[in-house]
Amino acid sequence: MQGDPGVVSNRHDAVDVLTGEPQARPTVDSQEITIDLALYGPLARFAGGHHVAQRPERLKAGATLGALVARLGIDGSEIGYVFVNAVLCDVPGMNVSRDLCLEDGDHVGIFSRVHMWPYQYRDGVRMSPSLKEALEVHGAMHHSYTTPEQSKA
Amino acid sequence: MSKKILRIDMTHRKATYEEVPKKWAHWAGRALTSAITFDEVEPTCHPLGPNNKLAIAPGWVTGTPASPSSGRTSFGGKSPLTGGIKESNAGGLSGQKIAGLGLAAIILEGQPEDGKWTTLVLTKDGVEFKDASDLVGKGMYEVDELLWETYPDTAVIGIGQAGEMKLSNAGISVNDTENRPGRYAGRGGMGAVMGARGVKAIVIDDTGGPGVEIADKELFDLGRRKLTESIQEHDLTKKGGGLPSYGTAILVNIINEAGGLPTRNFSAGQFEGAAKISGEAIAEVVEKRRTNGGYEGMVGHKCSPGCIIGCSNVYPDEEGKHIVSCLEYETAWALGANCGIDDLDSVARMTRECNDVGVDTIESGNAIAVAMDGGLLKFGDGEGALKLFDEIRRGTPLGRILGQGVEATAKAFGVHRVPTVKGQSMPAYEPRAIKGIGVTYATTPMGADHTAGYTIAPEIAGVGGKVDPLSDEGKADLSLTFQAATAFIDSTGYCLFIAFPILDIAKGWAGMAETVAGVTGMSITGDDVVPLGKGILKMERLFNEGAGFTPEADRMPEFMRYEKLPPHDVVWTIKDEELDKVYGWVHNGS
Repeated sequence: MQGDPGVVSNRHDAVDVLTGEPQARPTVDSQEITIDLALYGPLARFAGGHHVAQRPERLKAGATLGALVARLGIDGSEIGYVFVNAVLCDVPGMNVSRDLCLEDGDHVGIFSRVHMWPYQYRDGVRMSPSLKEALEVHGAMHHSYTTPEQSKA
Repeated sequence: MSKKILRIDMTHRKATYEEVPKKWAHWAGRALTSAITFDEVEPTCHPLGPNNKLAIAPGWVTGTPASPSSGRTSFGGKSPLTGGIKESNAGGLSGQKIAGLGLAAIILEGQPEDGKWTTLVLTKDGVEFKDASDLVGKGMYEVDELLWETYPDTAVIGIGQAGEMKLSNAGISVNDTENRPGRYAGRGGMGAVMGARGVKAIVIDDTGGPGVEIADKELFDLGRRKLTESIQEHDLTKKGGGLPSYGTAILVNIINEAGGLPTRNFSAGQFEGAAKISGEAIAEVVEKRRTNGGYEGMVGHKCSPGCIIGCSNVYPDEEGKHIVSCLEYETAWALGANCGIDDLDSVARMTRECNDVGVDTIESGNAIAVAMDGGLLKFGDGEGALKLFDEIRRGTPLGRILGQGVEATAKAFGVHRVPTVKGQSMPAYEPRAIKGIGVTYATTPMGADHTAGYTIAPEIAGVGGKVDPLSDEGKADLSLTFQAATAFIDSTGYCLFIAFPILDIAKGWAGMAETVAGVTGMSITGDDVVPLGKGILKMERLFNEGAGFTPEADRMPEFMRYEKLPPHDVVWTIKDEELDKVYGWVHNGS
């Protein structure tokens, strides 16, 4: 995401985190929302922490997950699991939720690339439609999708 | 020199060395302890009576030179907690030293008629039966220390006061490289089975022992290199990766974010204090309390020699001295979130008490949470919870109830929310929110167990990319495949955490199989893993059937079908017929 992180670059891709349905966006960019942000592992440094950081974050209405990440200055390659309101949206190496539109009061939890989550302990959790689709294509069971070799393994 | 079975008859205090029977020749670790239990233990016997046995076996590759992260020891027999077969394994020093003495397994059987306690001392010259009256009544920290005064640098397998009282939640301790009792075969009450043989401790000195023979060194070295490289390359297990950085408690925040962290006796899926008891919080404490000299806190600690992952930690007090090693995910959850306790120091002190008294941290945390649900203490009362371990230590009526585990505690306190399967309480993954693990909880012969079904490579599982992560369908086949693969890995002596690199990196999978083939001389490839694992599961399942288990034992607790779990407000939905598919093959000849 480039430019003003509060502005959505591709409005048509905004989707509801649970249903995957296209989501209407506020038309006034100056309106603000506040989300509850948690950063885990080395990513905590982007919110003033060391290993864990949690704080409210004010964003322009219509801001996406990608806009939030850009505003925090996090390199996407450092990001692993991402949750929005207890729904799994990204896994390591598969960042498919950058265009999710955030809403006032949302909780966003972002984990570093080093975090693990064995498949057997996530088989059946609630996840976003776009992630579900991506995992069905690329294989749901792996722990990371870092390289083509690992994806094929 | 071929491996031997060491049979120790505690009725007559006599030890004999036997050739490994042909039928057991290809088994090790869990496969061997389950085979011994299946062949030699009457399924209807009382677990604490003279006819149960405790089988102890290192894995196939345990004790081989430079084989990475392969120091596991399996303990098996009939469980007093579940009434079925049990295998529980631990790291620490014992596996390599038992293997170093040229032993495939140790079988403890019989019961002393004089009621006296014994310490067994195993060396290359045989077995000594030492009077253990000086150790009786002592916790494992003191037992380990006292035994190393006489037998330095040995492996010490022992039981705390809970094992002496033959409580169903008593575990078996194995000392680590610093001679601390933090490595437990905790689940299923195997400490009570050891206590029922009148054995307080087993000291193992492998000096001068024959070691482990390697049938095909070239193949073994090839496999070892592949496996080592894959462990060192994988994001989770490499230096600086997730496990060495944050330990297994790295999962606390993830599972909490997913809404699957059982909280306050499985009444919610998120805990507001989760971050305070997580692996990240442990790392912060270890950094914050660093002192200039003699500091004992650390992450990246290795629980057994030869480990190249280092997921253990040493949790320090305010002065920088060790409180306990290790604070793991299950422990931090059981004694933390599940009891509503968010104070890491309290959790660490309770974990130390578990290690000292000799009880499983998962079953203990669940028992306390159930007692809290029943009104004994308020959720969140860390100080009150800590005192309960002294009740167990002293054998008070309350302590004995708690030490019998969750089901006994629930009955004593009139609680219907009882998170058990086959009498064993659930670990830290809420099956209403994480349904796949629920199938394994319900159907594994071990009772609710998170280590019974580890992921393996999709090609081996036969599912590739076709798994539907949101569907209830197909989870039976997947769970069976995972359970079979885990039974195999539990038999190798490798730590289960090699499952990550062998899943994601093809050479790791091949390397694991090649090391086993190299040591044993058996013709094993990655394709043989699931069929061999199913052979182990079949023995375990048939033992349980003999003990009286029916398919109705493979069910989730009733409350999970009607109590909605926040934040997702979900109930257990997988049908009984789907669960019954998991072991349908046992009597269908496939």
